[in-house]
Amino acid sequence: MDKINSKYFHAIQILQDNCTGCTACVRVCPTEAIRVRDSKAYIDPNRCVDCGNCVTACEFHAIIPSSDPLNIIENYKYRIAIISSSFFGQFTEDISYAAAKQAVLDLGFDEVAEEAMVMDFMISIIREYIRNNRDKRPILSSNCPAVVRLIQVKYPSLLPNILHQEAPMSILTRYLREKIGKEKQLRDEEIGIFLIVPCVAHVTAVHQPEGAYKHLQDGAFSTGMIYGKVREILKDVQNHPVEIDTYPQGLTWALSGVQAELVDTDDIRALSVNGIENVMDILSRVEDHYLDQYDYIVLRSCTNGCVGGCLNVENPFVAMSRIKKMSKEGENKKIHVEELEKLHAQGEFSVAPLAPRPIMELDKDIKKAIQKMKKINEFLTMLPGLNCSACGSPSCYALAEDIVLGKASIDDCVVLKRNKTEQKDD
Amino acid sequence: MAEYWFIADGFEDKVRNFQNRKSEAEVNLEFAIPEKDFNSAGKGSSELKNLLKRLGVDSEILRRIAVASYEAEINVAAHSQGGTMYSAIYDDLIHVRFEDQGPGIADIEQAMVPGFSTANDLVRELGFGAGLGLPNIKKNSDAMHLVSESGSATFLEFIIYFA
Repeated sequence: MDKINSKYFHAIQILQDNCTGCTACVRVCPTEAIRVRDSKAYIDPNRCVDCGNCVTACEFHAIIPSSDPLNIIENYKYRIAIISSSFFGQFTEDISYAAAKQAVLDLGFDEVAEEAMVMDFMISIIREYIRNNRDKRPILSSNCPAVVRLIQVKYPSLLPNILHQEAPMSILTRYLREKIGKEKQLRDEEIGIFLIVPCVAHVTAVHQPEGAYKHLQDGAFSTGMIYGKVREILKDVQNHPVEIDTYPQGLTWALSGVQAELVDTDDIRALSVNGIENVMDILSRVEDHYLDQYDYIVLRSCTNGCVGGCLNVENPFVAMSRIKKMSKEGENKKIHVEELEKLHAQGEFSVAPLAPRPIMELDKDIKKAIQKMKKINEFLTMLPGLNCSACGSPSCYALAEDIVLGKASIDDCVVLKRNKTEQKDD
Repeated sequence: MAEYWFIADGFEDKVRNFQNRKSEAEVNLEFAIPEKDFNSAGKGSSELKNLLKRLGVDSEILRRIAVASYEAEINVAAHSQGGTMYSAIYDDLIHVRFEDQGPGIADIEQAMVPGFSTANDLVRELGFGAGLGLPNIKKNSDAMHLVSESGSATFLEFIIYFA
């Protein structure tokens, strides 16, 4: 993907031909990153956190999540797929967990691993991290890339509170790269590691990881994109079942509430939050020191956690219920954590301090920022206050800000324009 | 009227200069705080926080302002018959005032003791009333001034410098 080097890469694309300029996306964007100008939507790459709200809101197939084409795996000698836990909630109950996993393998991979494998290990390193960083409470989960980016742009004072450890799929990536390299005598570039992901934020994170010290994955495929093929392969797999290891208890990682319950223990109090509006409310309260009684807060941008990702095919509540059922019914295959622990001790799973990407500041100089703020307030008194978004900015305040920052004009206000014409007619 | 003054060490001259200052605030914000309305209590300080983020106020200072104004706003909602929050933003500091419609604080010195609270059951049920409000405002302010007595309005102001 060449375009990733230009500026901040996002896994969301706007198809201008399909865009009607309806502003549905403008109104649902939590960071006010989208504007409609000349009847077409544009995303400000510095503000976008890849939450996927706009993808879901667009009724015209104009906002398209981009993930990698499956054939890129052919560029590698040894291909590994790492599957997000949410994937296994996407199938009707006649399709077993093992069959779904086998079907992914049959897409052309040499090995499938899954997030669920390392869940117990994850819980232990999260607890260890919390205990070693008591001065920074509450620790905020780092697994959801949209949340990490949201904190970078809107709540930069909370960056030190983020769990500075890789997410499970990246931990697996490091572990497998090392292990397969040794076992199969392969060079780094001969091993292709790919994620099967439920959301655009994870696609973005694969191409532009925050805080990663080393090369991680080589691509990301969305659940939605491979789903059709997997279903086709499944017909065959169901007729010829094979033995494959599964980790049903680990699947609950896809559910934000369960993750919090698992980390919660005698000396660690955990809170779980999902849905980006709720996440923003909670982050604002953390900023005010009103949630200091919690040691750990699990934050997920999507409803119920990763099962709510916009690239999934199943409703997040149905998927959650299926995963809960699987985790109750099955037994985890034991994995050897010694190797993981060794890598952890060497600091392999650490993350570099995350840098802020502030978007709210009007100016670096507070005096100039105040002058801009005054102008914004002046324009605000002229605007109708309907927050109709017809101008293409999300609210009257945002339009006033856009005008002062030179990105829009007062003539963009449709209501003011109408009033003027009416006055002329009188 | 009983009065309570707190000025953090090293801020005495700065605060005196501020009191003699003739210039008007650059940006003013006014927010009504209805009595016992815990659904909207906190909105004033949250709006103030968003405004200060736009001005690029240092994030640690911003957190102090947020805590002090939130505590004060909740105090007015929980204990008074309603009031108003006035924020005056200068290029070097913020001056926030709270004026309510009574019934006033009977013993200011006692109210400043961490853990002391006169909050009623309704307020406590909502998770407030731990008796940390005023001490927390003091802890996060560079200067704080409280004027009140039983049966009259309460006036609270605090100043926090941006650098």
